[in-house]
Amino acid sequence: MKQVITMPKLSADMKKGVLAAWAKQKGDTVKKGDVLYEVEAAKVVSEVEATVDGVLTEVYFEEGDEVDVDTPVALICSEQ
Amino acid sequence: MQERMPEWFKVKYNEEAVNEVSRLMAKLKLNTVCKEANCPNLGECFQKHTATFMILGSQCTRNCRFCNVVHGTPEPVDTEEPMHVAEAVRDLKLRHVVITQVTRDDLPDGGASQFAKTVSSIRSLCPDVTIEVLISDMKGDKNSLDTVIAAHPEVINHNIETVAPLYPDVRPEASYERSLSVLRYVKEKDSSILTKTGIMLGLGETKEQVLQTMDDVLTTGCDIFTIGQYLRPSPAHVEMKEYISPEIFAEYKEIGLQKGFRYVASSPLVRSSYRAAEALQSGDTL
Repeated sequence: MKQVITMPKLSADMKKGVLAAWAKQKGDTVKKGDVLYEVEAAKVVSEVEATVDGVLTEVYFEEGDEVDVDTPVALICSEQ
Repeated sequence: MQERMPEWFKVKYNEEAVNEVSRLMAKLKLNTVCKEANCPNLGECFQKHTATFMILGSQCTRNCRFCNVVHGTPEPVDTEEPMHVAEAVRDLKLRHVVITQVTRDDLPDGGASQFAKTVSSIRSLCPDVTIEVLISDMKGDKNSLDTVIAAHPEVINHNIETVAPLYPDVRPEASYERSLSVLRYVKEKDSSILTKTGIMLGLGETKEQVLQTMDDVLTTGCDIFTIGQYLRPSPAHVEMKEYISPEIFAEYKEIGLQKGFRYVASSPLVRSSYRAAEALQSGDTL
Protein backbone atom coordinates (compact mmCIF):
# COMPACT_ATOMS: atom_id res chain seq x y z
CA MET A 1 0.00 0.00 0.00
CA LYS A 2 1.26 3.47 -0.83
CA GLN A 3 0.74 6.50 1.37
CA VAL A 4 1.33 9.94 -0.07
CA ILE A 5 2.78 12.32 2.52
CA THR A 6 1.64 15.89 1.96
CA MET A 7 2.61 19.25 3.39
CA PRO A 8 0.30 19.61 6.39
CA LYS A 9 -1.85 22.65 7.03
CA LEU A 10 -0.46 23.55 10.44
CA SER A 11 -2.69 26.54 10.98
CA ALA A 12 -5.91 27.91 9.58
CA ASP A 13 -4.20 30.57 7.47
CA MET A 14 -1.14 28.57 6.40
CA LYS A 15 -0.60 28.52 2.63
CA LYS A 16 3.00 27.25 2.42
CA GLY A 17 5.69 25.78 4.64
CA VAL A 18 9.45 25.53 4.37
CA LEU A 19 10.66 21.95 4.32
CA ALA A 20 13.49 22.69 6.72
CA ALA A 21 15.10 19.25 7.05
CA TRP A 22 14.61 15.60 6.23
CA ALA A 23 14.93 13.29 9.23
CA LYS A 24 14.69 10.21 6.97
CA GLN A 25 16.25 9.63 3.57
CA LYS A 26 14.92 7.92 0.46
CA GLY A 27 15.12 4.16 0.99
CA ASP A 28 14.95 4.33 4.79
CA THR A 29 12.61 2.10 6.74
CA VAL A 30 10.21 4.16 8.85
CA LYS A 31 7.96 3.27 11.73
CA LYS A 32 4.71 4.94 12.73
CA GLY A 33 5.65 7.84 15.02
CA ASP A 34 9.13 8.37 13.55
CA VAL A 35 9.92 11.96 12.61
CA LEU A 36 9.97 12.19 8.79
CA TYR A 37 10.81 15.83 8.22
CA GLU A 38 10.70 19.29 9.76
CA VAL A 39 8.50 22.13 8.56
CA GLU A 40 8.95 25.77 9.40
CA ALA A 41 5.57 27.44 9.46
CA ALA A 42 2.91 28.71 11.83
CA LYS A 43 5.50 30.27 14.15
CA VAL A 44 7.48 27.11 14.92
CA VAL A 45 9.44 24.17 13.53
CA SER A 46 7.13 21.15 13.46
CA GLU A 47 8.51 17.63 13.40
CA VAL A 48 6.07 15.74 11.18
CA GLU A 49 5.65 12.12 12.20
CA ALA A 50 4.97 9.08 10.01
CA THR A 51 1.49 7.67 10.48
CA VAL A 52 2.29 4.23 8.96
CA ASP A 53 5.15 1.71 8.94
CA GLY A 54 6.94 1.24 5.62
CA VAL A 55 9.78 2.35 3.37
CA LEU A 56 10.30 5.93 2.25
CA THR A 57 10.43 5.31 -1.50
CA GLU A 58 10.21 8.86 -2.84
CA VAL A 59 11.03 12.37 -1.62
CA TYR A 60 9.92 15.17 -3.91
CA PHE A 61 11.55 18.24 -2.34
CA GLU A 62 14.90 19.29 -0.99
CA GLU A 63 15.67 20.95 2.32
CA GLY A 64 14.94 24.65 2.15
CA ASP A 65 12.19 24.34 -0.46
CA GLU A 66 8.96 26.20 0.09
CA VAL A 67 6.01 23.88 -0.45
CA ASP A 68 2.30 24.61 -0.85
CA VAL A 69 -0.08 23.03 1.66
CA ASP A 70 -1.45 19.62 0.57
CA THR A 71 1.34 19.14 -2.01
CA PRO A 72 2.90 15.63 -1.93
CA VAL A 73 6.37 15.73 -0.37
CA ALA A 74 7.10 12.00 -0.06
CA LEU A 75 5.79 8.48 -0.59
CA ILE A 76 5.80 5.62 1.90
CA CYS A 77 5.19 2.05 0.72
CA SER A 78 4.03 -0.45 3.28
CA GLU A 79 3.28 -4.18 3.08
CA GLN A 80 -0.27 -3.82 4.37
CA MET B 1 14.72 31.71 2.65
CA GLN B 2 13.49 33.02 5.97
CA GLU B 3 15.66 33.21 9.10
CA ARG B 4 15.78 29.92 11.03
CA MET B 5 13.93 29.80 14.29
CA PRO B 6 15.78 28.97 17.50
CA GLU B 7 16.14 25.26 18.26
CA TRP B 8 13.79 25.55 21.23
CA PHE B 9 10.81 26.19 18.95
CA LYS B 10 10.65 22.62 17.72
CA VAL B 11 7.33 20.82 18.26
CA LYS B 12 5.82 17.47 17.28
CA TYR B 13 3.05 17.18 14.70
CA ASN B 14 0.95 14.05 14.32
CA GLU B 15 -1.65 14.45 11.62
CA GLU B 16 -3.88 11.63 12.84
CA ALA B 17 -4.19 13.09 16.33
CA VAL B 18 -4.79 16.62 15.05
CA ASN B 19 -7.45 15.43 12.62
CA GLU B 20 -9.19 13.35 15.29
CA VAL B 21 -9.58 16.28 17.67
CA SER B 22 -10.45 18.64 14.81
CA ARG B 23 -13.24 16.32 13.64
CA LEU B 24 -14.74 16.17 17.13
CA MET B 25 -14.69 19.95 17.41
CA ALA B 26 -16.32 20.34 14.00
CA LYS B 27 -19.00 17.77 14.85
CA LEU B 28 -19.93 19.65 18.01
CA LYS B 29 -19.59 23.06 16.31
CA LEU B 30 -16.95 24.13 18.82
CA ASN B 31 -13.98 26.46 18.48
CA THR B 32 -10.61 26.05 20.10
CA VAL B 33 -8.21 28.88 20.81
CA CYS B 34 -5.52 26.39 19.81
CA LYS B 35 -6.65 26.63 16.20
CA GLU B 36 -7.92 30.21 16.11
CA ALA B 37 -4.72 31.60 17.63
CA ASN B 38 -2.40 29.30 15.62
CA CYS B 39 -0.98 27.96 18.86
CA PRO B 40 2.42 26.31 18.34
CA ASN B 41 1.51 23.64 20.87
CA LEU B 42 -1.57 22.44 18.99
CA GLY B 43 0.09 19.24 17.77
CA GLU B 44 1.31 18.23 21.21
CA CYS B 45 -1.93 19.09 22.98
CA PHE B 46 -4.22 17.43 20.43
CA GLN B 47 -2.04 14.32 20.55
CA LYS B 48 -2.58 14.27 24.30
CA HIS B 49 -6.29 14.82 23.69
CA THR B 50 -6.31 18.21 25.35
CA ALA B 51 -7.61 21.44 23.93
CA THR B 52 -8.70 24.86 25.13
CA PHE B 53 -12.29 25.54 24.18
CA MET B 54 -13.13 29.02 22.98
CA ILE B 55 -16.76 29.83 23.64
CA LEU B 56 -19.03 32.61 22.36
CA GLY B 57 -17.96 32.26 18.74
CA SER B 58 -14.80 32.90 16.77
CA GLN B 59 -15.18 36.65 16.19
CA CYS B 60 -13.70 38.96 18.83
CA THR B 61 -15.03 42.45 19.46
CA ARG B 62 -11.56 43.74 20.28
CA ASN B 63 -8.53 43.92 18.05
CA CYS B 64 -5.48 43.40 20.24
CA ARG B 65 -2.34 43.76 18.18
CA PHE B 66 -0.66 40.58 19.39
CA CYS B 67 -3.57 38.19 18.92
CA ASN B 68 -4.51 36.09 15.88
CA VAL B 69 -8.16 35.60 16.83
CA VAL B 70 -10.31 37.25 14.20
CA HIS B 71 -11.76 40.68 14.96
CA GLY B 72 -15.24 41.12 13.57
CA THR B 73 -18.97 41.13 14.08
CA PRO B 74 -19.74 38.48 16.68
CA GLU B 75 -22.13 35.60 16.08
CA PRO B 76 -25.32 35.05 18.10
CA VAL B 77 -24.71 33.14 21.32
CA ASP B 78 -25.16 29.38 20.76
CA THR B 79 -27.42 28.09 23.53
CA GLU B 80 -26.28 24.52 22.86
CA GLU B 81 -22.62 25.40 23.21
CA PRO B 82 -22.31 24.73 26.99
CA MET B 83 -23.54 21.15 26.64
CA HIS B 84 -21.46 20.60 23.51
CA VAL B 85 -18.34 21.62 25.42
CA ALA B 86 -19.30 19.19 28.18
CA GLU B 87 -19.76 16.41 25.63
CA ALA B 88 -16.34 17.12 24.14
CA VAL B 89 -14.78 17.07 27.62
CA ARG B 90 -16.41 13.69 28.17
CA ASP B 91 -15.39 12.29 24.77
CA LEU B 92 -11.80 13.51 25.10
CA LYS B 93 -11.69 12.04 28.64
CA LEU B 94 -10.22 15.26 30.00
CA ARG B 95 -9.40 15.53 33.68
CA HIS B 96 -8.78 19.26 33.53
CA VAL B 97 -10.43 21.58 31.05
CA VAL B 98 -9.68 25.17 30.09
CA ILE B 99 -12.47 27.33 28.70
CA THR B 100 -11.71 30.68 27.18
CA GLN B 101 -13.69 33.17 25.12
CA VAL B 102 -13.57 35.79 22.47
CA THR B 103 -14.11 39.15 24.13
CA ARG B 104 -17.79 40.05 23.79
CA ASP B 105 -18.13 43.72 24.62
CA ASP B 106 -21.45 43.60 22.73
CA LEU B 107 -23.08 41.40 25.37
CA PRO B 108 -24.38 43.09 28.53
CA ASP B 109 -22.62 40.54 30.74
CA GLY B 110 -19.56 40.09 28.52
CA GLY B 111 -20.48 36.42 28.16
CA ALA B 112 -20.35 35.66 31.89
CA SER B 113 -23.60 33.69 31.90
CA GLN B 114 -22.35 31.48 29.05
CA PHE B 115 -19.28 30.70 31.15
CA ALA B 116 -21.51 29.82 34.11
CA LYS B 117 -23.70 27.56 31.98
CA THR B 118 -20.64 25.87 30.51
CA VAL B 119 -19.15 25.21 33.94
CA SER B 120 -22.50 23.87 35.12
CA SER B 121 -22.88 21.59 32.09
CA ILE B 122 -19.39 20.15 32.57
CA ARG B 123 -20.10 19.59 36.27
CA SER B 124 -23.29 17.69 35.42
CA LEU B 125 -21.70 15.46 32.77
CA CYS B 126 -18.16 15.11 34.15
CA PRO B 127 -18.28 15.77 37.90
CA ASP B 128 -14.64 14.83 38.54
CA VAL B 129 -13.15 17.24 36.00
CA THR B 130 -11.40 20.36 37.27
CA ILE B 131 -12.29 23.54 35.40
CA GLU B 132 -10.24 26.59 34.52
CA VAL B 133 -11.77 29.63 32.85
CA LEU B 134 -9.69 32.18 30.97
CA ILE B 135 -11.82 35.29 30.87
CA SER B 136 -11.68 38.72 29.30
CA ASP B 137 -11.72 41.72 31.62
CA MET B 138 -15.52 41.84 31.12
CA LYS B 139 -15.04 45.60 31.12
CA GLY B 140 -14.39 45.30 34.85
CA ASP B 141 -18.12 44.81 35.46
CA LYS B 142 -18.56 43.32 38.93
CA ASN B 143 -21.94 41.77 38.20
CA SER B 144 -20.42 39.85 35.29
CA LEU B 145 -17.46 38.75 37.37
CA ASP B 146 -19.84 37.70 40.16
CA THR B 147 -21.61 35.39 37.71
CA VAL B 148 -18.36 33.67 36.80
CA ILE B 149 -17.20 33.49 40.42
CA ALA B 150 -20.53 31.98 41.51
CA ALA B 151 -20.05 29.14 39.02
CA HIS B 152 -16.97 28.30 41.08
CA PRO B 153 -14.43 26.99 38.61
CA GLU B 154 -11.24 25.79 40.29
CA VAL B 155 -9.16 28.42 38.47
CA ILE B 156 -10.01 31.85 37.08
CA ASN B 157 -7.37 33.15 34.70
CA HIS B 158 -7.25 36.63 33.27
CA ASN B 159 -4.13 37.50 31.32
CA ILE B 160 -2.37 40.77 31.87
CA GLU B 161 -0.44 39.93 28.67
CA THR B 162 2.40 42.46 28.88
CA VAL B 163 4.07 45.10 31.02
CA ALA B 164 2.22 48.36 31.65
CA PRO B 165 4.36 50.66 29.44
CA LEU B 166 3.63 48.51 26.36
CA TYR B 167 -0.17 48.59 26.70
CA PRO B 168 -0.72 51.41 24.17
CA ASP B 169 1.02 49.36 21.46
CA VAL B 170 -0.03 45.84 22.42
CA ARG B 171 -3.43 46.11 24.15
CA PRO B 172 -4.76 49.53 23.17
CA GLU B 173 -8.35 48.60 23.99
CA ALA B 174 -7.55 47.26 27.45
CA SER B 175 -6.21 48.68 30.70
CA TYR B 176 -3.39 47.34 32.87
CA GLU B 177 -5.09 48.63 36.01
CA ARG B 178 -8.43 47.12 35.05
CA SER B 179 -6.85 43.73 34.49
CA LEU B 180 -5.20 43.92 37.91
CA SER B 181 -8.53 44.88 39.45
CA VAL B 182 -10.22 41.84 37.85
CA LEU B 183 -7.68 39.52 39.48
CA ARG B 184 -7.98 41.34 42.80
CA TYR B 185 -11.79 41.27 42.78
CA VAL B 186 -11.96 37.52 42.12
CA LYS B 187 -9.63 36.79 45.03
CA GLU B 188 -11.50 39.12 47.36
CA LYS B 189 -14.86 37.59 46.51
CA ASP B 190 -13.79 33.94 46.78
CA SER B 191 -10.31 33.16 48.04
CA SER B 192 -10.85 29.43 47.43
CA ILE B 193 -10.66 30.01 43.67
CA LEU B 194 -7.11 29.97 42.35
CA THR B 195 -6.31 33.04 40.28
CA LYS B 196 -3.89 32.99 37.41
CA THR B 197 -2.41 35.42 34.93
CA GLY B 198 0.41 35.58 32.43
CA ILE B 199 2.59 37.69 30.18
CA MET B 200 4.37 37.33 26.86
CA LEU B 201 8.03 38.24 26.46
CA GLY B 202 9.91 39.47 23.42
CA LEU B 203 7.85 42.61 22.85
CA GLY B 204 10.62 44.94 24.00
CA GLU B 205 9.96 44.86 27.72
CA THR B 206 12.86 45.29 30.16
CA LYS B 207 13.73 42.99 33.04
CA GLU B 208 12.81 45.73 35.51
CA GLN B 209 9.38 46.03 33.89
CA VAL B 210 8.83 42.27 34.09
CA LEU B 211 9.73 42.24 37.79
CA GLN B 212 7.48 45.25 38.41
CA THR B 213 4.63 43.40 36.70
CA MET B 214 5.19 40.41 38.97
CA ASP B 215 5.05 42.73 41.99
CA ASP B 216 1.88 44.41 40.74
CA VAL B 217 0.20 41.07 40.08
CA LEU B 218 1.19 39.73 43.50
CA THR B 219 -0.62 42.62 45.18
CA THR B 220 -3.86 41.10 43.84
CA GLY B 221 -3.23 37.80 45.68
CA CYS B 222 -2.71 35.95 42.40
CA ASP B 223 -1.54 32.33 42.75
CA ILE B 224 -0.27 31.23 39.33
CA PHE B 225 1.90 33.14 36.84
CA THR B 226 2.74 32.09 33.28
CA ILE B 227 5.46 33.50 31.02
CA GLY B 228 5.94 32.61 27.35
CA GLN B 229 7.57 33.94 24.18
CA TYR B 230 5.48 36.20 21.95
CA LEU B 231 5.44 34.92 18.37
CA ARG B 232 4.15 37.34 15.78
CA PRO B 233 1.17 35.81 13.96
CA SER B 234 1.68 37.93 10.82
CA PRO B 235 3.38 41.12 9.62
CA ALA B 236 0.15 42.95 10.45
CA HIS B 237 0.61 42.19 14.14
CA VAL B 238 2.78 43.98 16.66
CA GLU B 239 6.47 43.34 16.03
CA MET B 240 8.43 40.76 17.97
CA LYS B 241 11.60 42.48 19.16
CA GLU B 242 13.63 39.46 20.30
CA TYR B 243 13.71 35.79 21.17
CA ILE B 244 14.21 35.31 24.90
CA SER B 245 16.46 32.37 25.78
CA PRO B 246 15.27 29.42 27.87
CA GLU B 247 17.83 30.40 30.51
CA ILE B 248 16.20 33.80 31.01
CA PHE B 249 12.78 32.14 31.26
CA ALA B 250 14.19 29.81 33.94
CA GLU B 251 15.56 32.81 35.82
CA TYR B 252 12.16 34.51 35.77
CA LYS B 253 10.57 31.34 37.11
CA GLU B 254 12.91 31.32 40.10
CA ILE B 255 12.36 35.03 40.72
CA GLY B 256 8.59 34.60 40.51
CA LEU B 257 8.59 31.79 43.04
CA GLN B 258 10.86 33.74 45.37
CA LYS B 259 8.59 36.74 45.14
CA GLY B 260 5.64 34.67 46.26
CA PHE B 261 3.72 33.06 43.39
CA ARG B 262 2.57 29.58 44.33
CA TYR B 263 3.23 28.24 40.84
CA VAL B 264 5.12 29.68 37.87
CA ALA B 265 5.26 28.22 34.35
CA SER B 266 7.96 29.96 32.36
CA SER B 267 9.52 28.79 29.11
CA PRO B 268 9.41 29.85 25.46
CA LEU B 269 6.45 27.69 24.47
CA VAL B 270 4.38 28.28 27.58
CA ARG B 271 0.93 29.62 26.80
CA SER B 272 -1.62 30.45 29.46
CA SER B 273 -3.39 27.12 29.10
CA TYR B 274 -0.41 24.98 28.07
CA ARG B 275 -0.19 21.97 30.39
CA ALA B 276 -2.55 23.84 32.68
CA ALA B 277 -3.36 20.69 34.62
CA GLU B 278 0.20 20.50 35.89
CA ALA B 279 -0.31 23.53 38.11
CA LEU B 280 -3.25 21.89 39.85
CA GLN B 281 -1.42 18.60 40.12
CA SER B 282 1.43 20.24 42.03
CA GLY B 283 -0.48 19.72 45.22
CA ASP B 284 2.39 20.73 47.48
CA THR B 285 2.24 24.34 46.47
CA LEU B 286 -1.42 24.86 45.63
